[in-house]
Amino acid sequence: MVKTMIKKTRITKQQWNVYRWAWFMIAPTIAGLFVLNIIPIFQTFFLSFFKSGAFGKGNIFVGLTNYKKMIADEQVWFAVRNTILYTAGVVPITIVLALFVAVLLNKKTAGKNIYRVIYFIPMVVAPAAVTMVWKWLYNYQYGLINHLLGMLGILKINWIDNPHVALISIIIIGIWSTLGYDMVLFLAGLQEIPNDYYEASNIDGASPARQFFSITLPLISPTLFFVSVTSIITAMQVFDVIYMMLDVTSPSYNSTVSLVYLFYNNSFKYSNKGYGSAIVMLLLVIILIITVIQNKLQKKWVNYL
Amino acid sequence: MKKTVVFKVLALVVATGLLGGWSSKKGRIKKAAETSSSGSVTISYACWDSAQADKLRKVADDFEKANPGIKIDIQVSGWNDYWTGLEAAATGGSLPDTFWMHSNNIYYYASNGQLLDLTKYIKKSSDIELSKYPAGLVSIYSLNGKQYAIPKDYDTIALWYNKTLFDKAGISYPDETWTWDTMKKAAKKLTKSDGSQYGMCAGLHNQEGYYNFVYQSGGEIVTPGNKSGYAEDATIKGIDEYFSFVKEGLSPQIYDDQARSQAIMNGQCAMGLFGSWNLSGFAANDFMKKNFNCAVLPSANNGKRATIFNGLGNAIAATTKHPDEAWKWIEYLSNEAGQKKQAELGIAISAYKGTADTWTKAYPDFNVKCYIDMLSYAHIRPYTHQTSVWEDKSYEMLKGAYAGKEDVSTACKKTAQMMNEAIAAE
Repeated sequence: MVKTMIKKTRITKQQWNVYRWAWFMIAPTIAGLFVLNIIPIFQTFFLSFFKSGAFGKGNIFVGLTNYKKMIADEQVWFAVRNTILYTAGVVPITIVLALFVAVLLNKKTAGKNIYRVIYFIPMVVAPAAVTMVWKWLYNYQYGLINHLLGMLGILKINWIDNPHVALISIIIIGIWSTLGYDMVLFLAGLQEIPNDYYEASNIDGASPARQFFSITLPLISPTLFFVSVTSIITAMQVFDVIYMMLDVTSPSYNSTVSLVYLFYNNSFKYSNKGYGSAIVMLLLVIILIITVIQNKLQKKWVNYL
Repeated sequence: MKKTVVFKVLALVVATGLLGGWSSKKGRIKKAAETSSSGSVTISYACWDSAQADKLRKVADDFEKANPGIKIDIQVSGWNDYWTGLEAAATGGSLPDTFWMHSNNIYYYASNGQLLDLTKYIKKSSDIELSKYPAGLVSIYSLNGKQYAIPKDYDTIALWYNKTLFDKAGISYPDETWTWDTMKKAAKKLTKSDGSQYGMCAGLHNQEGYYNFVYQSGGEIVTPGNKSGYAEDATIKGIDEYFSFVKEGLSPQIYDDQARSQAIMNGQCAMGLFGSWNLSGFAANDFMKKNFNCAVLPSANNGKRATIFNGLGNAIAATTKHPDEAWKWIEYLSNEAGQKKQAELGIAISAYKGTADTWTKAYPDFNVKCYIDMLSYAHIRPYTHQTSVWEDKSYEMLKGAYAGKEDVSTACKKTAQMMNEAIAAE
């Protein structure tokens, strides 16, 4: 064992040169990653054991107090529930819709590029602006949606301030704004599938539905896996939409607040950065668990070419 | 091979995505401006009211003309973002040179050495004399005998009413004879059963809402002994009276700050409580000009009067690189001429003695004099060392009672407990 390790470390001059170039080329990215992401992760972890002082000075070590408080805080568990419900609402629907649209737009349709752009636009617009527009659509008194419902003779719905509806309203925005991005990833995946398979199956007389389930789906599974893991992570971190849509004063706050929004309010609104850090550590643990499970499960259904 | 690549990418996404998202939220307020290339100094001035900022720009233009070599960079953000941004900037040591201060936050900033002590500048200045400003405001912005901000303006809360709707219902306009009962009766007459029109706009708001009722009722939010007053009977009675408008269907439930003024601007509600800082916005709205006027707040049924009174201060960052230039700007804003100019522009009720009447002339369409008339019985907006910590949390705890889902007295007692814990932690 020791011998092989020594063997491995013997590197020729030429190899060193290659390595040095490689390090040089990725250094800016790595540096950015360290300064902006990796160091803050450890700082956040560290801070979660402190009662934060004013303006980042005079932090007091309090051990596990923040974590104990967190476990007893019902709002944290509301936030866990809301975050998971949001993810469970957004991710599956978005993936199914995005895959469906991607398959359609992968065909030789007239004006498919225009459609692709249209689906992708929500991804480009700033989430804050998107939410402002949706907020007007959802407005109880004067919103377009309630106006249309009124014309159909349906009672007005309080999209934002009704605790039973607000999360659904937010999920709708979430689906609308991530659909285009997932679709583009699927389109890329679809174009990797060699056309030969489809031609062969055509000769065998396979129906389009059969082609989809027997060729497209298995061969796009690596993309599907990538998309599902990344969209779950993004969905678990939902913040902007809820932040723009609802304030702590809203009756829907407890039924919509996400872990990141709760972290933000505790850290910045109530100036308790230590407690906020503890909340975010909980989120990190939840996301890590989900991601590990997904990685374990992928062996069962993902086909790599 | 491909599999491991995917996994590695995922691992990175987990790590980076988590923290990348939030860092963008902070630091909205820009770093203090540096000396520009032409040799002139730029002083940044941060505030949270865009309507005022436009008019302040005119004052800044005059200042720049009088002081060549100093440029003023006005930075506006919304109330919530302002304080989050300011705290982030202070933590990073990059506060704007000059900025607005509020009674909620003055102690937090002053006691932690973030603000420049203005005492010696005031002493040296021939233009500034603290006795010319309302004593209550001067003392808010001083700590341990040092002055950390100079009062910029003050504000009170008045009752706004829709003349057209009052005429239609055949009710006489609100005046100083009005009490809680008169207001309730009028609200009932002005409410339509189909929900198309409400007599009152009683949104969930403290300063422009239940705080006024609390002090009219003889209660208090913070006791002289620096404890919560939420559990006092008179306080509960005041809050109960304010919340009763929603409970009796005389006001829509409004939780959003902006939605309150929208509710009167589109004719949905006939009355509402609004602070004097809304004037620039109201005067720019044709519907308001045509239909609305304001009056002093009604008294409690026993005749006790109150309104919530507050005022902002102009402060300088302790970390500024150009304290002398920054002081020149603050001095310009605070002396008699500057305060008068701001009053003429209608920016806010200027704090300097004798300039308030000038402000009323900027709004000839409304009876804005009522804001100044109320000063004699006005209460300073309640504050402790870290007001913002318990103030928003109080909303969270009261909103159930506001919506009629919880008993007001129970909610108030819970709020008092939370607030006492928060004050103890200050």
